[in-house]
Amino acid sequence: MTYLWATRGRTWGFRLLRTGGLADPLATYEAAFAGASDEVEVWQVTGAGGALRFPDPLGRRDRSGRVVPHDFVLLGDDARGVTSVDEGRRRLWPRVERVFVEAYDSAAPPTPEP
Amino acid sequence: MAAKRTLEQQIAVFGESGSGKTVLLSSFYGALQEPAFLDRSVYRVSADDVGQGIRLHSNYLGMRDDGRRPALTAFAATAYRFSATFRGTSPKSASVDALRLVWHDYPGEWFAESPSSPTEQRRRADTFRSMLGADVALLLVDAQRLVDEAGQEEKYLRLLLTNIRNGLLSLRDELLPDDKPLQDFPRIWVLALSKSDLLPDMDVYAFRDLVVGKAGSDLDALRRAVGELVESTEALSLGQDFVLLSSARFDAGTIQVSDRVGVDLVHPMAAVLPLETHVRWASLKTLPAKVADALLGSVDGMAGVLAGHKLPLPGPLGLLVGLLGPDVAKAAADLAGGKLKDVHATALRKKEYAAATLAAFKMALERAEKDKVLLRSPR
Repeated sequence: MTYLWATRGRTWGFRLLRTGGLADPLATYEAAFAGASDEVEVWQVTGAGGALRFPDPLGRRDRSGRVVPHDFVLLGDDARGVTSVDEGRRRLWPRVERVFVEAYDSAAPPTPEP
Repeated sequence: MAAKRTLEQQIAVFGESGSGKTVLLSSFYGALQEPAFLDRSVYRVSADDVGQGIRLHSNYLGMRDDGRRPALTAFAATAYRFSATFRGTSPKSASVDALRLVWHDYPGEWFAESPSSPTEQRRRADTFRSMLGADVALLLVDAQRLVDEAGQEEKYLRLLLTNIRNGLLSLRDELLPDDKPLQDFPRIWVLALSKSDLLPDMDVYAFRDLVVGKAGSDLDALRRAVGELVESTEALSLGQDFVLLSSARFDAGTIQVSDRVGVDLVHPMAAVLPLETHVRWASLKTLPAKVADALLGSVDGMAGVLAGHKLPLPGPLGLLVGLLGPDVAKAAADLAGGKLKDVHATALRKKEYAAATLAAFKMALERAEKDKVLLRSPR
């Protein structure tokens, strides 16, 4: 499955942790979330595939008390069959859940991976 | 009707993620849309980008009505442009009919963390270059972090100042491609205690003493790092101006947006601090003439408006080097107390609203000093 994942930790700032192997993932991320504004939950079909956002399922917060968001861009066919935030969460969260357990509390963010 | 002349000030706001930058912006803009402000003010403020304005206003209303904090700003780094236009018809003699504030917003994590993509890297460099037009930089110190580190505040303060210093040094090559120091760069760095309502017993003097006492050497190291970027370091003030800010009071479940400190000083600081400080610096004998001219030139338009001089049309303001001369600038910068109130009253009577607004900005800073919310550099 190919996807972009952007989130933040307790102390480190919002950034991409998965780039989907793209050379310029930020442009794809921003195009996918254009128009999503500040919605807490998002699922929208885009040119790249689909943009998915949901709040941290365990309710983890950043240092100033805001619930951590998880933003994904599903690329190409990997967006097929997703029709809701719930469905997207069910597919994506198990893929990053463990990574985030370690990353969330670390002082520095992990290096982005494809 | 399109503005015939716009007087522009720029401010660069630095703060770590979570230090209250978005809340500050939203509180600043939202309060200016309240009837309580509109009914008594001679000007109205709108965002030049309608979408930005709606978003900030929506953030403000979410705080005011639902106790909801603004969402996290993802990959932010934006310039917000606000224009203050005056009500009614200005007399034809008025040379300025809009004041614009450009607010550059810099995520503090940019200093502490490497970019997560090449686009982000490029955007950072571009954004820093866009800051060069700002005369004033506001560096947010998060009161929540001071509360969290009570008794050992130096842990947070030193890290904050070191991160900013390292970030600036790492950008040195980008900012100085030919290794020549910059003439245009923020020369007035104000340390601002954000969320100051969390430390209700701390006035601006106590804040200064805390920063200088706990992290004085780091403050000096940051001053030297900035000094490496600018031409003529005698015209640099870092760690000498302090202000308290509180965008709202956050109680359990509610956010009191009317309970604010210092937010109304952002535009006055951006406008007035350069006028006063540049005039003072320009009189220094050690300052090269071209730097002195540039410093005076950047505040000439403002000085002219405040001193009631007609400004030549057309052409951009802020580039009138030598046109009005240092005496006009000095007279405007020195306005204070009763004389300042007279200028304000006269300008209002003559419907010279730009002059009245700038005089009111100066009066607001005077008041804030008396209230121990603001501390201005003596040099």
